[in-house]
Amino acid sequence: MLLSKYATKSPWLFRINTGSCNGCDVELATTALIPRFDVERLGCKYTGSPKHADIVLITGPVTARSENYLKRMLVEIPEPRVIVAIGICAISGGVFKDSYSIRGPVDKYVDVDVNVSGCPVRPQSILDGVAKAIEIWKEKIEQFHEG
Amino acid sequence: MSASQIFNFFICPGGIFAIFFGLVLVSLERIAVARFQGRVGPPIFQNIFDVIKLITKEVMIPKDATNRFFFLLAPVFGFAGMVAAVSVIPVAGVSSGLGANSDLIVLIYLLALPAVSHILGGSSSGSTYSAVSVSREVVLMFAYEITFIIVIFTVALAAGNGNGAVFSLQQIVDYQLTNGSFISDPRMLPALFAFLIFMLATLEVPPFHIAENDADVIKGYLMEYSGRPLALFEMTHALKLLVLITVLQIFFFPGIAANNPVANLLWYMFKSGVIVFLIALIHACMASFRVDQAFKFLLTVPVVLALASLGMVLFL
Repeated sequence: MLLSKYATKSPWLFRINTGSCNGCDVELATTALIPRFDVERLGCKYTGSPKHADIVLITGPVTARSENYLKRMLVEIPEPRVIVAIGICAISGGVFKDSYSIRGPVDKYVDVDVNVSGCPVRPQSILDGVAKAIEIWKEKIEQFHEG
Repeated sequence: MSASQIFNFFICPGGIFAIFFGLVLVSLERIAVARFQGRVGPPIFQNIFDVIKLITKEVMIPKDATNRFFFLLAPVFGFAGMVAAVSVIPVAGVSSGLGANSDLIVLIYLLALPAVSHILGGSSSGSTYSAVSVSREVVLMFAYEITFIIVIFTVALAAGNGNGAVFSLQQIVDYQLTNGSFISDPRMLPALFAFLIFMLATLEVPPFHIAENDADVIKGYLMEYSGRPLALFEMTHALKLLVLITVLQIFFFPGIAANNPVANLLWYMFKSGVIVFLIALIHACMASFRVDQAFKFLLTVPVVLALASLGMVLFL
């Protein structure tokens, strides 16, 4: 479909930190995506508003404190969207699994489309994850407009 | 309306051409900023892809929006104003606009519409970020509109050349084509700088990146918008950039390349690109003002520059 072909050239990224140690966030925000590899050349840009998000990058094991914020945030992100879990904490809880203050992983709250593992994740695997997310997003746009 | 006016309104230089060219100019600005920062930057059609993408997205209306009707009406308001502005302004050597006698006065009102639509949409969306952003936008609007009006009167008086003021854009262009552009007139140089500062303030380019500053109000008045209304806001921004660049050319350097409309159109596009690079250079160099600093700056520097020009045009 022509629409989804051109639409997927403009993925807007949105970050949710659910109590991560900041390792993955540093990789996302500073080293990996903006100055060194420049995702803007793929049309990506970081947006501050969940209403503008297309690809949602979630980091952290979902702590008890951030649980409510995550739930509220996920309601505000419009369809069609793709959820990417960044880092082993978001995928399974990592070293924090079964801890008293952890409510995660992210899988409990929303269907995760792409898992990018690592602790912290490597910039190259983030880019690979975003590229895979774009392919899934394309299918989702077509499904969204069919029914 | 004649056939050529309908063509001018819908195809070129208004309507479809204006939206596409405006979006390309916005992308060009993003590329230039990225290159100044040592990055590669997006493709040249990026903002067109953005608009197509936003059309495919779900439209969300916040539950605590204070007024759903105005929330959805606001983007249409700004977009309609800018489409009207594009049809009013002439492009030197290509089209003569609507040819109305006082279209400069109409332009003052039309150019305020995008800011009004931001205020209307942001204040009815019920978000606190939008509320902060709207109050900043109102403060800035008070400050920069004064400059714009003084510059308009300066240009109108200069084009009248001692016989009162000329408020027709086409006549301003014709006067400059016969008597030399205003950019080569030393009396008009302060007004040119004042107008450039006004452009930066209206377009919310740093150092006036206050109402939608990512660092403190995130997206400001656009916070709650998604899907098609947001696409309309993007297109309004592109058209606003195009209208301001065209008005800058009409006021100060409407020179034409040849007697051929196609050559003139290409020359106009080239001049627009150069202005966008200038804006991008300032964008990449500057940090942002605080709102009180911007208010003080806008009420002093550009107003004094514009008044200096006005005084010289009146008394020299």
